Amino acid sequence: MTATQADEKPKRVVPLREGLFRIPTSPGEKPALIASRCPRCGEHFFPKRAICLGCGQVGLEEAYLTGPGKISTFTIARMTPPGSLIEAPYVIALVELPERVIVASVLSGCDVDSVRVDMPVELVLEKVKEDQEGNDVVAFKFRLT
Amino acid sequence: MSDNRVVVLGVGLVRFSRYPDKSAEDLGREAALAALEDAGIDFKDVEAGFYGRVERVVGAGMRTFGELGQHGIPVTNVEVACASSSRGALLAADLIRGGLYDVCMVIGVEKMERGMLGGGGEAGYQTQMGMFLLPGLYAMMAQRHMYLYGTKREHFAQVSVKSHRNGVLDPNAQYQKELTLEEILNSRMVADPITLYQCCPTTDGASSVILCSERYARQHTTRPVYLTAWAAGTPIYVSGESALAEGPTKVLADKVYNASGLGPEDVDLVQLHDAFSPGEVLGVEELGFCRPGEGGPFVWEGNTEINGKKPVNTDGGLLSRGHPMGATGGAMITEITRQLRGEAGPRQVRGAKVGLLHNAGIGGVNVMAFQV
Repeated sequence: MTATQADEKPKRVVPLREGLFRIPTSPGEKPALIASRCPRCGEHFFPKRAICLGCGQVGLEEAYLTGPGKISTFTIARMTPPGSLIEAPYVIALVELPERVIVASVLSGCDVDSVRVDMPVELVLEKVKEDQEGNDVVAFKFRLT
Repeated sequence: MSDNRVVVLGVGLVRFSRYPDKSAEDLGREAALAALEDAGIDFKDVEAGFYGRVERVVGAGMRTFGELGQHGIPVTNVEVACASSSRGALLAADLIRGGLYDVCMVIGVEKMERGMLGGGGEAGYQTQMGMFLLPGLYAMMAQRHMYLYGTKREHFAQVSVKSHRNGVLDPNAQYQKELTLEEILNSRMVADPITLYQCCPTTDGASSVILCSERYARQHTTRPVYLTAWAAGTPIYVSGESALAEGPTKVLADKVYNASGLGPEDVDLVQLHDAFSPGEVLGVEELGFCRPGEGGPFVWEGNTEINGKKPVNTDGGLLSRGHPMGATGGAMITEITRQLRGEAGPRQVRGAKVGLLHNAGIGGVNVMAFQV
Protein backbone atom coordinates (compact mmCIF):
# COMPACT_ATOMS: atom_id res chain seq x y z
CA MET A 1 0.00 0.00 0.00
CA THR A 2 1.31 3.47 -0.82
CA ALA A 3 1.11 6.45 1.44
CA THR A 4 -1.32 8.10 -0.95
CA GLN A 5 -3.80 5.26 -0.63
CA ALA A 6 -3.58 5.34 3.17
CA ASP A 7 -4.30 9.06 3.16
CA GLU A 8 -7.44 8.51 1.14
CA LYS A 9 -8.92 5.99 3.59
CA PRO A 10 -12.15 7.47 4.99
CA LYS A 11 -12.18 8.43 8.66
CA ARG A 12 -14.00 5.82 10.72
CA VAL A 13 -15.56 5.64 14.17
CA VAL A 14 -13.96 2.85 16.19
CA PRO A 15 -14.62 1.70 19.76
CA LEU A 16 -12.03 2.22 22.52
CA ARG A 17 -12.55 -1.46 23.24
CA GLU A 18 -14.35 -4.11 21.18
CA GLY A 19 -17.25 -5.99 22.70
CA LEU A 20 -18.46 -3.35 25.16
CA PHE A 21 -20.92 -1.28 23.14
CA ARG A 22 -22.57 -1.12 19.72
CA ILE A 23 -22.00 1.90 17.50
CA PRO A 24 -25.16 2.89 15.56
CA THR A 25 -24.88 2.19 11.84
CA SER A 26 -28.10 3.82 10.69
CA PRO A 27 -29.84 7.08 11.56
CA GLY A 28 -32.26 6.70 14.44
CA GLU A 29 -30.47 3.69 15.91
CA LYS A 30 -29.54 4.15 19.54
CA PRO A 31 -26.15 3.22 20.98
CA ALA A 32 -26.30 0.10 23.14
CA LEU A 33 -24.19 -1.67 25.73
CA ILE A 34 -23.38 -5.25 24.78
CA ALA A 35 -24.55 -7.34 27.72
CA SER A 36 -25.39 -10.94 28.57
CA ARG A 37 -28.83 -12.32 29.36
CA CYS A 38 -29.40 -15.62 31.10
CA PRO A 39 -31.80 -17.77 29.06
CA ARG A 40 -32.80 -19.64 32.21
CA CYS A 41 -33.46 -16.96 34.87
CA GLY A 42 -33.48 -13.76 32.80
CA GLU A 43 -30.73 -12.00 34.75
CA HIS A 44 -28.68 -9.43 32.78
CA PHE A 45 -24.97 -8.66 33.10
CA PHE A 46 -22.67 -5.96 31.82
CA PRO A 47 -19.97 -6.38 30.69
CA LYS A 48 -20.61 -9.74 29.07
CA ARG A 49 -19.83 -12.86 31.04
CA ALA A 50 -19.93 -16.59 30.40
CA ILE A 51 -21.77 -17.89 33.47
CA CYS A 52 -24.89 -16.54 35.21
CA LEU A 53 -24.21 -15.20 38.70
CA GLY A 54 -27.87 -15.71 39.61
CA CYS A 55 -28.42 -19.37 38.73
CA GLY A 56 -25.10 -20.73 37.44
CA GLN A 57 -26.28 -21.27 33.85
CA VAL A 58 -23.33 -21.76 31.53
CA GLY A 59 -23.74 -20.08 28.17
CA LEU A 60 -25.57 -16.75 28.13
CA GLU A 61 -27.26 -14.91 25.25
CA GLU A 62 -26.07 -11.57 23.97
CA ALA A 63 -28.39 -8.71 24.88
CA TYR A 64 -28.36 -4.98 24.17
CA LEU A 65 -29.02 -2.38 26.84
CA THR A 66 -30.05 1.07 25.65
CA GLY A 67 -31.18 2.66 28.93
CA PRO A 68 -32.44 5.00 30.19
CA GLY A 69 -30.82 4.81 33.60
CA LYS A 70 -30.68 6.61 36.89
CA ILE A 71 -27.74 7.48 39.12
CA SER A 72 -27.41 5.05 42.01
CA THR A 73 -24.33 6.82 43.38
CA PHE A 74 -21.43 8.91 42.08
CA THR A 75 -18.27 10.78 42.91
CA ILE A 76 -16.56 13.81 41.46
CA ALA A 77 -13.02 12.87 40.48
CA ARG A 78 -10.89 15.94 41.24
CA MET A 79 -7.57 14.34 40.34
CA THR A 80 -6.80 12.64 37.03
CA PRO A 81 -5.60 9.10 37.76
CA PRO A 82 -2.57 7.68 35.89
CA GLY A 83 -3.36 6.51 32.36
CA SER A 84 -6.71 8.30 32.10
CA LEU A 85 -7.86 9.91 28.83
CA ILE A 86 -10.45 11.91 30.77
CA GLU A 87 -9.28 15.04 32.56
CA ALA A 88 -10.49 15.95 36.05
CA PRO A 89 -12.88 17.20 37.19
CA TYR A 90 -15.40 14.65 35.95
CA VAL A 91 -18.13 12.52 37.48
CA ILE A 92 -17.91 8.74 37.86
CA ALA A 93 -21.32 7.21 38.52
CA LEU A 94 -22.92 3.86 39.13
CA VAL A 95 -25.91 3.88 36.80
CA GLU A 96 -28.87 1.59 37.37
CA LEU A 97 -30.55 0.34 34.19
CA PRO A 98 -34.12 -1.02 33.85
CA GLU A 99 -32.71 -4.56 33.54
CA ARG A 100 -31.37 -4.26 37.13
CA VAL A 101 -27.82 -3.93 35.89
CA ILE A 102 -25.42 -1.51 37.59
CA VAL A 103 -22.95 0.09 35.17
CA ALA A 104 -19.93 2.11 36.23
CA SER A 105 -19.47 5.02 33.85
CA VAL A 106 -18.16 8.50 33.40
CA LEU A 107 -20.85 11.15 32.94
CA SER A 108 -20.69 13.23 29.79
CA GLY A 109 -19.85 16.91 30.18
CA CYS A 110 -21.96 18.48 32.90
CA ASP A 111 -21.74 20.82 35.83
CA VAL A 112 -20.10 18.33 38.18
CA ASP A 113 -21.47 20.04 41.28
CA SER A 114 -25.07 19.69 40.10
CA VAL A 115 -25.08 15.86 40.04
CA ARG A 116 -27.32 14.06 42.56
CA VAL A 117 -28.35 10.48 43.30
CA ASP A 118 -31.49 9.35 41.40
CA MET A 119 -31.00 11.77 38.46
CA PRO A 120 -32.08 10.25 35.10
CA VAL A 121 -29.37 9.63 32.50
CA GLU A 122 -29.12 8.37 28.91
CA LEU A 123 -26.43 6.36 27.16
CA VAL A 124 -24.19 8.25 24.72
CA LEU A 125 -21.02 7.54 22.75
CA GLU A 126 -18.29 10.17 22.75
CA LYS A 127 -14.95 10.62 21.08
CA VAL A 128 -12.13 10.19 23.60
CA LYS A 129 -9.14 10.34 21.23
CA GLU A 130 -7.95 9.83 17.65
CA ASP A 131 -6.01 6.74 16.71
CA GLN A 132 -2.85 6.76 14.56
CA GLU A 133 -4.93 6.54 11.37
CA GLY A 134 -6.98 9.58 12.32
CA ASN A 135 -10.11 7.60 13.21
CA ASP A 136 -12.38 8.82 16.00
CA VAL A 137 -12.05 6.47 18.98
CA VAL A 138 -15.29 6.50 20.98
CA ALA A 139 -16.30 5.27 24.43
CA PHE A 140 -19.66 5.10 26.17
CA LYS A 141 -20.73 7.58 28.80
CA PHE A 142 -24.03 8.56 30.37
CA ARG A 143 -25.50 12.04 30.07
CA LEU A 144 -27.93 13.82 32.39
CA THR A 145 -31.36 14.16 30.72
CA MET B 1 -13.38 -24.77 71.76
CA SER B 2 -10.78 -25.31 74.48
CA ASP B 3 -7.55 -27.01 73.41
CA ASN B 4 -8.56 -26.25 69.87
CA ARG B 5 -7.64 -22.63 69.92
CA VAL B 6 -4.80 -21.04 68.02
CA VAL B 7 -2.37 -18.81 69.89
CA VAL B 8 -0.56 -15.68 68.74
CA LEU B 9 2.88 -16.46 70.13
CA GLY B 10 4.86 -13.57 68.70
CA VAL B 11 4.45 -10.39 66.68
CA GLY B 12 6.91 -7.99 65.09
CA LEU B 13 6.91 -4.88 62.94
CA VAL B 14 9.33 -2.77 61.03
CA ARG B 15 8.09 0.78 61.50
CA PHE B 16 5.91 1.81 58.58
CA SER B 17 7.87 4.48 56.76
CA ARG B 18 10.05 4.93 53.66
CA TYR B 19 13.06 2.66 53.19
CA PRO B 20 14.75 3.54 49.91
CA ASP B 21 17.96 1.79 51.04
CA LYS B 22 16.41 -1.47 52.19
CA SER B 23 15.12 -4.33 50.08
CA ALA B 24 11.81 -6.06 50.68
CA GLU B 25 13.83 -9.04 51.90
CA ASP B 26 15.62 -6.84 54.46
CA LEU B 27 12.30 -5.52 55.77
CA GLY B 28 10.75 -8.98 55.94
CA ARG B 29 13.76 -10.44 57.74
CA GLU B 30 13.79 -7.65 60.33
CA ALA B 31 10.09 -8.08 61.09
CA ALA B 32 10.50 -11.85 61.33
CA LEU B 33 13.44 -11.54 63.74
CA ALA B 34 11.38 -9.20 65.92
CA ALA B 35 8.51 -11.71 65.98
CA LEU B 36 10.86 -14.61 66.81
CA GLU B 37 12.33 -12.62 69.68
CA ASP B 38 8.85 -11.72 70.90
CA ALA B 39 7.83 -15.40 70.72
CA GLY B 40 11.06 -16.61 72.32
CA ILE B 41 11.62 -19.36 69.75
CA ASP B 42 14.15 -20.09 67.00
CA PHE B 43 13.37 -19.95 63.31
CA LYS B 44 14.08 -23.67 63.10
CA ASP B 45 11.01 -24.25 65.30
CA VAL B 46 8.82 -22.83 62.52
CA GLU B 47 7.12 -25.57 60.50
CA ALA B 48 5.44 -23.61 57.71
CA GLY B 49 5.68 -20.11 56.31
CA PHE B 50 3.20 -17.77 54.62
CA TYR B 51 4.27 -14.63 52.83
CA GLY B 52 1.82 -11.79 52.19
CA ARG B 53 2.68 -9.36 49.44
CA VAL B 54 0.90 -7.73 46.54
CA GLU B 55 3.52 -6.47 44.10
CA ARG B 56 6.56 -8.29 42.64
CA VAL B 57 5.63 -11.42 44.53
CA VAL B 58 7.17 -14.15 42.35
CA GLY B 59 9.58 -16.21 44.46
CA ALA B 60 9.70 -13.47 47.10
CA GLY B 61 8.36 -15.59 49.96
CA MET B 62 10.95 -18.29 49.46
CA ARG B 63 13.71 -15.69 49.23
CA THR B 64 12.63 -13.94 52.41
CA PHE B 65 12.13 -17.08 54.49
CA GLY B 66 15.40 -18.35 52.98
CA GLU B 67 17.18 -15.38 54.53
CA LEU B 68 16.13 -16.60 57.97
CA GLY B 69 17.33 -20.17 57.44
CA GLN B 70 16.86 -23.21 55.31
CA HIS B 71 15.38 -26.19 57.08
CA GLY B 72 13.10 -27.14 54.26
CA ILE B 73 9.72 -25.83 55.41
CA PRO B 74 6.90 -25.21 52.93
CA VAL B 75 6.57 -21.52 52.10
CA THR B 76 3.50 -20.16 50.33
CA ASN B 77 2.94 -16.74 48.81
CA VAL B 78 -0.49 -15.35 49.66
CA GLU B 79 -1.91 -12.51 47.59
CA VAL B 80 -5.33 -11.11 48.52
CA ALA B 81 -4.50 -7.50 47.65
CA CYS B 82 -4.59 -5.38 50.83
CA ALA B 83 -5.73 -8.38 52.92
CA SER B 84 -2.78 -10.65 52.07
CA SER B 85 -0.99 -11.21 55.38
CA SER B 86 -4.17 -11.61 57.44
CA ARG B 87 -5.23 -14.25 54.91
CA GLY B 88 -1.82 -15.88 55.44
CA ALA B 89 -2.57 -15.95 59.17
CA LEU B 90 -6.00 -17.46 58.50
CA LEU B 91 -4.47 -20.24 56.42
CA ALA B 92 -1.87 -20.89 59.12
CA ALA B 93 -4.64 -20.99 61.74
CA ASP B 94 -6.62 -23.49 59.63
CA LEU B 95 -3.59 -25.78 59.51
CA ILE B 96 -2.82 -25.46 63.21
CA ARG B 97 -6.43 -26.07 64.21
CA GLY B 98 -6.46 -29.03 61.82
CA GLY B 99 -3.51 -30.50 63.72
CA LEU B 100 -1.07 -30.42 60.83
CA TYR B 101 1.44 -28.01 62.38
CA ASP B 102 2.25 -26.59 65.79
CA VAL B 103 4.09 -23.44 64.68
CA CYS B 104 3.59 -21.27 61.58
CA MET B 105 5.05 -17.91 60.67
CA VAL B 106 3.51 -15.18 58.52
CA ILE B 107 5.61 -12.41 57.01
CA GLY B 108 3.92 -9.48 55.26
CA VAL B 109 5.92 -6.97 53.24
CA GLU B 110 5.44 -4.12 50.80
CA LYS B 111 7.59 -1.48 49.22
CA MET B 112 5.29 0.95 47.44
CA GLU B 113 5.85 3.60 44.83
CA ARG B 114 4.74 7.11 45.60
CA GLY B 115 1.51 8.50 44.23
CA MET B 116 -1.87 7.12 43.47
CA LEU B 117 -2.05 3.41 42.70
CA GLY B 118 -2.37 2.93 38.95
CA GLY B 119 -4.29 0.34 36.99
CA GLY B 120 -1.27 -1.82 36.27
CA GLY B 121 0.95 -2.10 33.22
CA GLU B 122 -1.48 -2.42 30.31
CA ALA B 123 -3.93 0.46 30.10
CA GLY B 124 -7.33 -1.23 30.32
CA TYR B 125 -10.67 0.35 29.46
CA GLN B 126 -11.38 1.36 33.06
CA THR B 127 -7.97 2.99 33.40
CA GLN B 128 -8.28 4.92 30.14
CA MET B 129 -11.76 6.08 31.11
CA GLY B 130 -10.49 7.49 34.41
CA MET B 131 -12.41 4.97 36.45
CA PHE B 132 -9.46 3.17 38.04
CA LEU B 133 -9.57 5.51 41.00
CA LEU B 134 -9.47 3.56 44.26
CA PRO B 135 -10.67 6.40 46.51
CA GLY B 136 -13.51 6.77 43.98
CA LEU B 137 -14.93 3.38 44.96
CA TYR B 138 -15.08 4.40 48.61
CA ALA B 139 -16.31 7.85 47.61
CA MET B 140 -19.27 6.32 45.78
CA MET B 141 -20.11 4.18 48.79
CA ALA B 142 -19.88 7.33 50.92
CA GLN B 143 -22.15 9.30 48.57
CA ARG B 144 -24.77 6.55 48.63
CA HIS B 145 -24.55 6.50 52.42
CA MET B 146 -24.98 10.30 52.52
CA TYR B 147 -28.03 10.00 50.26
CA LEU B 148 -29.66 7.17 52.22
CA TYR B 149 -28.87 8.25 55.78
CA GLY B 150 -27.90 11.91 55.71
CA THR B 151 -24.31 11.17 56.70
CA LYS B 152 -22.16 14.30 56.55
CA ARG B 153 -18.71 14.79 55.08
CA GLU B 154 -17.51 15.86 58.55
CA HIS B 155 -18.40 12.39 59.82
CA PHE B 156 -15.98 10.78 57.37
CA ALA B 157 -13.30 13.38 58.04
CA GLN B 158 -13.58 12.77 61.79
CA VAL B 159 -12.30 9.21 61.19
CA SER B 160 -9.06 10.70 59.96
CA VAL B 161 -8.85 13.19 62.86
CA LYS B 162 -9.06 10.28 65.29
CA SER B 163 -6.66 8.03 63.37
CA HIS B 164 -4.00 10.72 63.20
CA ARG B 165 -4.39 11.48 66.90
CA ASN B 166 -3.82 7.76 67.62
CA GLY B 167 -0.86 7.69 65.25
CA VAL B 168 0.93 10.20 67.47
CA LEU B 169 0.84 7.58 70.24
CA ASP B 170 2.25 4.80 68.03
CA PRO B 171 6.04 4.70 67.52
CA ASN B 172 5.51 2.38 64.51
CA ALA B 173 3.15 4.75 62.69
CA GLN B 174 4.25 6.40 59.45
CA TYR B 175 2.59 9.69 60.40
CA GLN B 176 2.86 10.91 63.97
CA LYS B 177 1.18 14.25 63.54
CA GLU B 178 -2.25 15.44 64.60
CA LEU B 179 -4.51 16.96 61.96
CA THR B 180 -7.54 19.13 62.67
CA LEU B 181 -10.94 18.57 61.11
CA GLU B 182 -10.43 21.76 59.09
CA GLU B 183 -7.01 20.64 57.81
CA ILE B 184 -8.50 17.34 56.69
CA LEU B 185 -11.61 18.84 55.06
CA ASN B 186 -9.52 21.57 53.37
CA SER B 187 -6.81 19.27 52.04
CA ARG B 188 -6.93 18.64 48.30
CA MET B 189 -10.18 17.04 47.12
CA VAL B 190 -9.48 13.68 45.48
CA ALA B 191 -12.89 12.08 44.92
CA ASP B 192 -15.81 13.87 46.51
CA PRO B 193 -16.26 13.64 49.57
CA ILE B 194 -12.78 12.13 50.11
CA THR B 195 -9.94 14.61 50.51
CA LEU B 196 -6.24 13.75 50.40
CA TYR B 197 -5.91 13.41 54.18
CA GLN B 198 -8.71 10.87 54.14
CA CYS B 199 -6.65 8.55 51.92
CA CYS B 200 -4.05 6.13 53.26
CA PRO B 201 -0.50 7.06 52.24
CA THR B 202 1.86 4.87 50.25
CA THR B 203 4.26 3.16 52.60
CA ASP B 204 7.12 0.69 53.01
CA GLY B 205 6.98 -1.73 55.90
CA ALA B 206 6.86 -5.28 57.13
CA SER B 207 5.05 -7.31 59.75
CA SER B 208 5.42 -10.79 61.10
CA VAL B 209 3.15 -13.01 63.17
CA ILE B 210 3.91 -16.38 64.74
CA LEU B 211 0.90 -18.58 65.39
CA CYS B 212 1.01 -21.86 67.31
CA SER B 213 -1.16 -24.56 68.76
CA GLU B 214 -2.52 -24.26 72.28
CA ARG B 215 -0.47 -27.31 73.24
CA TYR B 216 2.76 -25.70 72.01
CA ALA B 217 1.86 -22.38 73.64
CA ARG B 218 1.55 -23.98 77.07
CA GLN B 219 5.27 -24.80 76.95
CA HIS B 220 6.39 -21.50 75.46
CA THR B 221 4.38 -18.63 76.88
CA THR B 222 2.61 -17.50 79.99
CA ARG B 223 0.73 -14.71 78.23
CA PRO B 224 -1.16 -16.33 75.36
CA VAL B 225 -3.41 -14.28 73.11
CA TYR B 226 -5.95 -16.63 71.55
CA LEU B 227 -7.21 -16.45 68.00
CA THR B 228 -10.61 -17.98 68.72
CA ALA B 229 -12.57 -17.60 65.49
CA TRP B 230 -11.96 -16.46 61.94
CA ALA B 231 -13.68 -16.29 58.57
CA ALA B 232 -12.67 -15.26 55.08
CA GLY B 233 -14.69 -14.54 51.97
CA THR B 234 -15.29 -12.76 48.70
CA PRO B 235 -18.31 -10.78 47.44
CA ILE B 236 -21.73 -12.43 47.36
CA TYR B 237 -23.79 -11.59 44.26
CA VAL B 238 -27.03 -9.73 44.86
CA SER B 239 -29.02 -8.84 41.75
CA GLY B 240 -29.25 -5.15 40.94
CA GLU B 241 -27.50 -3.90 44.03
CA SER B 242 -24.61 -1.48 44.24
CA ALA B 243 -22.99 -2.64 47.44
CA LEU B 244 -22.17 -0.34 50.33
CA ALA B 245 -19.25 -2.55 51.23
CA GLU B 246 -15.97 -3.92 49.96
CA GLY B 247 -16.93 -7.58 50.28
CA PRO B 248 -19.13 -9.62 52.64
CA THR B 249 -17.98 -8.16 55.95
CA LYS B 250 -21.34 -8.53 57.70
CA VAL B 251 -21.69 -12.20 56.78
CA LEU B 252 -18.16 -12.94 57.97
CA ALA B 253 -18.60 -10.98 61.20
CA ASP B 254 -21.75 -12.98 61.97
CA LYS B 255 -19.83 -16.22 61.35
CA VAL B 256 -17.07 -15.12 63.69
CA TYR B 257 -19.52 -14.02 66.39
CA ASN B 258 -21.36 -17.34 66.14
CA ALA B 259 -18.20 -19.42 66.22
CA SER B 260 -16.70 -17.57 69.18
CA GLY B 261 -19.88 -17.09 71.20
CA LEU B 262 -19.10 -13.37 71.23
CA GLY B 263 -21.34 -10.53 70.22
CA PRO B 264 -20.48 -7.02 69.04
CA GLU B 265 -21.09 -5.83 72.61
CA ASP B 266 -18.19 -8.01 73.84
CA VAL B 267 -15.58 -6.43 71.55
CA ASP B 268 -13.15 -4.13 73.39
CA LEU B 269 -11.17 -2.89 70.40
CA VAL B 270 -11.22 -3.13 66.63
CA GLN B 271 -8.71 -3.08 63.83
CA LEU B 272 -10.68 -2.05 60.77
CA HIS B 273 -9.78 -1.50 57.13
CA ASP B 274 -9.77 2.29 56.74
CA ALA B 275 -7.85 2.65 53.46
CA PHE B 276 -10.15 5.63 52.98
CA SER B 277 -12.12 7.31 55.76
CA PRO B 278 -15.58 5.98 54.78
CA GLY B 279 -14.20 2.50 55.53
CA GLU B 280 -14.64 3.07 59.26
CA VAL B 281 -18.14 4.58 59.03
CA LEU B 282 -19.35 1.65 56.93
CA GLY B 283 -17.32 -0.90 58.89
CA VAL B 284 -18.70 -0.12 62.35
CA GLU B 285 -22.18 -0.79 60.95
CA GLU B 286 -21.26 -4.05 59.24
CA LEU B 287 -19.43 -5.34 62.30
CA GLY B 288 -22.60 -4.71 64.32
CA PHE B 289 -21.46 -1.88 66.61
CA CYS B 290 -24.32 0.37 65.52
CA ARG B 291 -27.35 0.10 63.26
CA PRO B 292 -27.14 0.55 59.47
CA GLY B 293 -27.00 4.26 58.71
CA GLU B 294 -25.74 5.28 62.15
CA GLY B 295 -22.03 4.89 61.41
CA GLY B 296 -21.51 8.61 60.79
CA PRO B 297 -22.89 9.87 64.12
CA PHE B 298 -21.32 6.85 65.88
CA VAL B 299 -17.87 8.01 64.80
CA TRP B 300 -18.64 11.72 65.19
CA GLU B 301 -19.73 11.27 68.82
CA GLY B 302 -16.36 9.73 69.74
CA ASN B 303 -17.37 6.10 70.16
CA THR B 304 -14.35 4.88 68.19
CA GLU B 305 -11.78 6.88 70.18
CA ILE B 306 -9.32 5.00 72.41
CA ASN B 307 -11.40 5.92 75.45
CA GLY B 308 -14.70 5.49 73.59
CA LYS B 309 -17.19 2.64 73.64
CA LYS B 310 -15.63 0.80 70.70
CA PRO B 311 -12.04 1.90 70.04
CA VAL B 312 -11.11 1.55 66.36
CA ASN B 313 -7.59 1.60 64.94
CA THR B 314 -5.82 2.50 68.17
CA ASP B 315 -2.48 2.43 66.30
CA GLY B 316 -3.50 5.03 63.73
CA GLY B 317 -4.99 2.58 61.25
CA LEU B 318 -4.22 2.53 57.57
CA LEU B 319 -4.73 6.32 57.42
CA SER B 320 -1.94 7.21 59.86
CA ARG B 321 0.04 4.07 60.70
CA GLY B 322 0.30 3.53 56.94
CA HIS B 323 -0.72 0.79 54.54
CA PRO B 324 2.13 -1.19 52.98
CA MET B 325 -0.42 -3.51 51.44
CA GLY B 326 1.09 -6.94 52.12
CA ALA B 327 2.12 -5.98 55.66
CA THR B 328 -1.13 -4.44 56.86
CA GLY B 329 -2.95 -7.57 58.09
CA GLY B 330 0.04 -8.57 60.20
CA ALA B 331 0.24 -5.05 61.63
CA MET B 332 -3.43 -5.30 62.63
CA ILE B 333 -2.76 -8.59 64.43
CA THR B 334 0.29 -7.02 66.08
CA GLU B 335 -1.72 -4.11 67.50
CA ILE B 336 -4.52 -6.33 68.80
CA THR B 337 -1.97 -8.67 70.40
CA ARG B 338 -0.15 -5.81 72.13
CA GLN B 339 -3.44 -4.35 73.36
CA LEU B 340 -4.67 -7.67 74.73
CA ARG B 341 -1.33 -8.23 76.48
CA GLY B 342 -1.59 -4.74 77.99
CA GLU B 343 1.59 -3.62 76.19
CA ALA B 344 0.17 -0.73 74.18
CA GLY B 345 1.54 2.04 76.40
CA PRO B 346 -0.12 5.45 75.97
CA ARG B 347 -2.73 4.06 73.54
CA GLN B 348 -3.71 1.15 75.79
CA VAL B 349 -7.43 0.35 75.94
CA ARG B 350 -7.97 -0.35 79.63
CA GLY B 351 -8.97 -3.89 80.45
CA ALA B 352 -9.10 -5.02 76.81
CA LYS B 353 -10.03 -8.71 76.58
CA VAL B 354 -11.50 -9.09 73.08
CA GLY B 355 -10.17 -7.70 69.80
CA LEU B 356 -11.77 -7.92 66.36
CA LEU B 357 -9.90 -7.61 63.06
CA HIS B 358 -11.34 -6.64 59.67
CA ASN B 359 -9.02 -6.50 56.66
CA ALA B 360 -10.26 -6.09 53.07
CA GLY B 361 -8.61 -6.20 49.66
CA ILE B 362 -10.49 -5.75 46.36
CA GLY B 363 -13.42 -7.73 47.72
CA GLY B 364 -11.44 -10.35 49.65
CA VAL B 365 -12.23 -9.94 53.35
CA ASN B 366 -10.89 -11.48 56.55
CA VAL B 367 -12.51 -11.16 59.98
CA MET B 368 -10.77 -12.57 63.06
CA ALA B 369 -11.53 -12.57 66.80
CA PHE B 370 -8.78 -12.52 69.43
CA GLN B 371 -9.21 -13.05 73.16
CA VAL B 372 -7.30 -13.28 76.39
